[in-house]
Amino acid sequence: MIYMIEDTINGILMGSIYGLTALGLTIIFGVLKVINFAHGSLLMVGMYAAYWAVALTGLHPYLTLVLVVPVMFVFGYYLQDIVIQPIFRAEKNVREPITVIIVTTGVWYILDNLTLLVFGPHYRTIQVNPLRGRMLEIGGLMISVPKLWGFVSAMVAAAAVYVFLQRTRMGRAIRATSLDRDAASLMGINPYKVYNVAFGIGTATAGIAAVTLVPFYNVFPTVGVLFDIKGFIIVVLGGLGSIGGAILGGIIIGLIESVGPQFMTATWTEAIVYGLFLLVLFVKPAGLFGVKYDW
Amino acid sequence: MKPEKINRIALVLLSAAALGLPLVVRSATYLHILVLLYFYAYLTTCWNLVGGFAGVLPLGHAAFVGIGAYTSTILSLQYGVSPWLGMIVGGLLAAGVGILIGLPTFKLRGAYFALATIAFSEGLRVMVENIDRLGPFTINGPRGLQIPPLDTGLTNFMFAGKEPYYYSILVMLAGVLFLTYRISRSKLGYALNAGGEEPEAAMALGIDVARTKLIAMALSSFLTALAGTFYAQFTLYIHPKSIISLDLSFEIAFIALIGGRGSIAGPVLGALLLRPVSDFSRIYFGDTLPGMHLIIFGVVLILVMNFQPRGLQEPLTRLYQKVVNRLFHWGALEAAR
Amino acid sequence: MKTDQPIARRMFRFFTAAVLVLMTAMPIHAEETVVRIGNIIPLSGPSASVGQQGKNAREMAVAEINAAGGIQSLDGARLEMIYADSESKPERGVAEAERLINTEKVHVLTGCWNSAVTYPTTAVAERYGIPFIVPVSVADKITEQGFKTVFRIAAKDSWWARDQFTFLKDMEVEFDTPVKRLAFVYENGDWGKGMAGQWKTLAEKGGYEVVLDEPYPSTATDLSPVVQKIRRARPDVLMLVSNAADAILLTNTLAAYKVKPKAIITSGGGHADPSFLEAAGENARYLFDIVEWETDINKPGAKEANERYKAAYGQNLTGEAVDAYLAMYVLADALERAGALDPAAIRDALAATRYESGKGMIVGYEAVEFDSTGQNKHAALMMVQINNAKSDLERITVWPKNARRKGYTPVFPMP
Repeated sequence: MIYMIEDTINGILMGSIYGLTALGLTIIFGVLKVINFAHGSLLMVGMYAAYWAVALTGLHPYLTLVLVVPVMFVFGYYLQDIVIQPIFRAEKNVREPITVIIVTTGVWYILDNLTLLVFGPHYRTIQVNPLRGRMLEIGGLMISVPKLWGFVSAMVAAAAVYVFLQRTRMGRAIRATSLDRDAASLMGINPYKVYNVAFGIGTATAGIAAVTLVPFYNVFPTVGVLFDIKGFIIVVLGGLGSIGGAILGGIIIGLIESVGPQFMTATWTEAIVYGLFLLVLFVKPAGLFGVKYDW
Repeated sequence: MKPEKINRIALVLLSAAALGLPLVVRSATYLHILVLLYFYAYLTTCWNLVGGFAGVLPLGHAAFVGIGAYTSTILSLQYGVSPWLGMIVGGLLAAGVGILIGLPTFKLRGAYFALATIAFSEGLRVMVENIDRLGPFTINGPRGLQIPPLDTGLTNFMFAGKEPYYYSILVMLAGVLFLTYRISRSKLGYALNAGGEEPEAAMALGIDVARTKLIAMALSSFLTALAGTFYAQFTLYIHPKSIISLDLSFEIAFIALIGGRGSIAGPVLGALLLRPVSDFSRIYFGDTLPGMHLIIFGVVLILVMNFQPRGLQEPLTRLYQKVVNRLFHWGALEAAR
Repeated sequence: MKTDQPIARRMFRFFTAAVLVLMTAMPIHAEETVVRIGNIIPLSGPSASVGQQGKNAREMAVAEINAAGGIQSLDGARLEMIYADSESKPERGVAEAERLINTEKVHVLTGCWNSAVTYPTTAVAERYGIPFIVPVSVADKITEQGFKTVFRIAAKDSWWARDQFTFLKDMEVEFDTPVKRLAFVYENGDWGKGMAGQWKTLAEKGGYEVVLDEPYPSTATDLSPVVQKIRRARPDVLMLVSNAADAILLTNTLAAYKVKPKAIITSGGGHADPSFLEAAGENARYLFDIVEWETDINKPGAKEANERYKAAYGQNLTGEAVDAYLAMYVLADALERAGALDPAAIRDALAATRYESGKGMIVGYEAVEFDSTGQNKHAALMMVQINNAKSDLERITVWPKNARRKGYTPVFPMP
């Protein structure tokens, strides 16, 4: 029984971090209607930023948030503005711009391999940090402290994004654009500006996810790919565009991965995840927590 | 000369060039590169039946390549069935699977469809990696299957030189191009196009959009699986990570988009342009600047999508038309004199 | 030399080549007396780190051989290296082998580290009769394909597994600590599955009880479920096969969950990667790893070779890098005896190899000599323990006993 509790807790904690990695994906999809295949690479860029910030300054990993989040926002903002936006303009009349999806794949290839060229293929972890390998022991229960921090950041980040979208002027503009681009632009909203901001926010949340991962994970050029596919599955499970859904979808995946291996080998849980994903797609394509319309 | 006649002459010249190429290109290296070029052109043309004409974005076609390769290889290794026969069996199996996936997924919109196909293909890879034996068949899990290069010959679909492979894939490519051409001019082609662009309007016209898409999917997966057998016989080794890989699925989509989705020449042009970029940049930068070839790949992709979102076939077709018209007018002028 | 060409010239060649693709083969090099060696290794993709080490070691050996006057019997012919990136993909390896043989006209091939790439690639070389030296790719099958042109320097995986078990038995006796319960945890790939298969047979023969037999995907983002399974199975000894990223993650997670079996025995690969020690640090203490070579090996020339390597590339030599280094010297020795560039002559000279002494002979065993399948029959393995003998954590040779570092007593069982 205690095993079950332990695994469930680990599943929820790790799952919420997965949800955090997928949060940006769902925000970007909600507004731009594009699956951002470069999202894992953005996460990787964030991890390198956080790694170097900690390695060079020796700060507490979470203090690097003040650096990583703005840097990632600006990076995402201009990535969308310079690379992706021209293609949007060219595809103005298409509702779901397939070419843009493919272009994000190009961005993925470029970012991953530029990192390989610049930093080499080595694996890096932060040796000295106050969270590394820390465990909370309650009776026989073992709970990972860095994952607990990750869980809290995921909740805070999701809540912050939600409040931003509901309460601020920019947030309302973003929601309006995601509901109906043309109507929004008739109301005087510049949709391309909104796209830039949404992409920037999505990238910034990838930066937050990167900071939560760095204390207990390795950093290397292809690390993003590992989280990429998982992210897609999570956002569809939760409903593309739904913020709460992303976190819940992540927790479902986390639970399968954590509890599943007690009944089968770890390699089969992967297959279960894909199976569940297809099942949800076929039975309830809007996702478990998705709304009927796009946002 | 009439434009149709010029077109026909161009086609004949092109076919002659393709047939005669191995007489000029003696180097096995370049033949190998050419074979892979045709292989990708073939795969992309198959993909185009769904991804181009039906207007969705399938990103899991590697799954069908895998089904074809595994079926014929298992049959020939373990039951002595000729790969040619196994090829058909694999194709039929893939077509069945294609329909099974198509049934629920075609109801889904663009992004969902793309993700569903990815999940299917990745799920299949994970299954293959986890299964050593399936009933009477040895799949060999992550270790893959190796075809011993022993009995070369036509019935075994195994040759010592590159030329027979070259002609096999050339015939396959020509066949699938002809088929695409016929389909694009048929009722099915119009229905597909209409359903891809304006599904609501097409349905109002009484077109069964879902059914036409299913037919396209079945055809596409059948033909894709044939290429899987070819691939297995060409490299003589298949293993799940390399054959049922997302990289392969993505590369097919890249080629289609760069060449021009939904056109007949697009996939061939795309392969003609992208494969050499990938091959030669790896050859020249692979050792000193690892990963450079993929950066070039990404940059080419972004540039083309920026300046020619309909793919490179559009400006090239325009250029060709201009040449044909010039020839036609010139011919007419000559005749008038 | 190809690698010395400035980027601008490479760019130029790249574009020219792209334009000329449908034309005839390009005449690239004016022929001089050079031995052209094609090397197919993963330089990008998931195994890029280990591929780079193999490249560095080859570069060092070849530079030394050329500086010492090249191949005497071929009028001082230089060795010229041509590298091709396999990206760890079999079809890339095959395509590159075709290119290296047909266009670059290499006389010898080496590679490919990933067994999955090595199988089909050696088949290409066999078809053309080009000798193929495999420094490392441990799957047994590689030398069991009946090929005449394949020569492997490294020990094969059945020997790795066998020696791990012999080592375990020896430790039980030496420290009077019986071991009963074994846990096998391995990456779900060609290599992991192959090793685990050997382990199961050996465990049965040795009368051990296997309490956990768990493959995991090496792309896993969270290994704590696997670690939990290990913790709950309470094995005496944990045996691992891991690639680099998962080796680091697994070691750190095991430490976090305070899993302390009597010993952890690993199988090289990820655990031998130089970045493993840097990234796992203190958590890797007391781990036993099986290797072909270690920096503290008692062999003349070994220490010097490691210092040269470290000065040039900033890392210690690894067993895998040493195999690549040695492979170049074995090749030079064979070329010297062949006295010709004909692939058949080189193959025959390789088959007759008995390389006992020379600058490249920095491995522990007596000689490199190939059996009829092309396997180096003397290839031997040793066990190291990660611990600090002086100040920093390092890899200390502990087995076989006659090779054990002076003054060091292995820590077994783990405290």
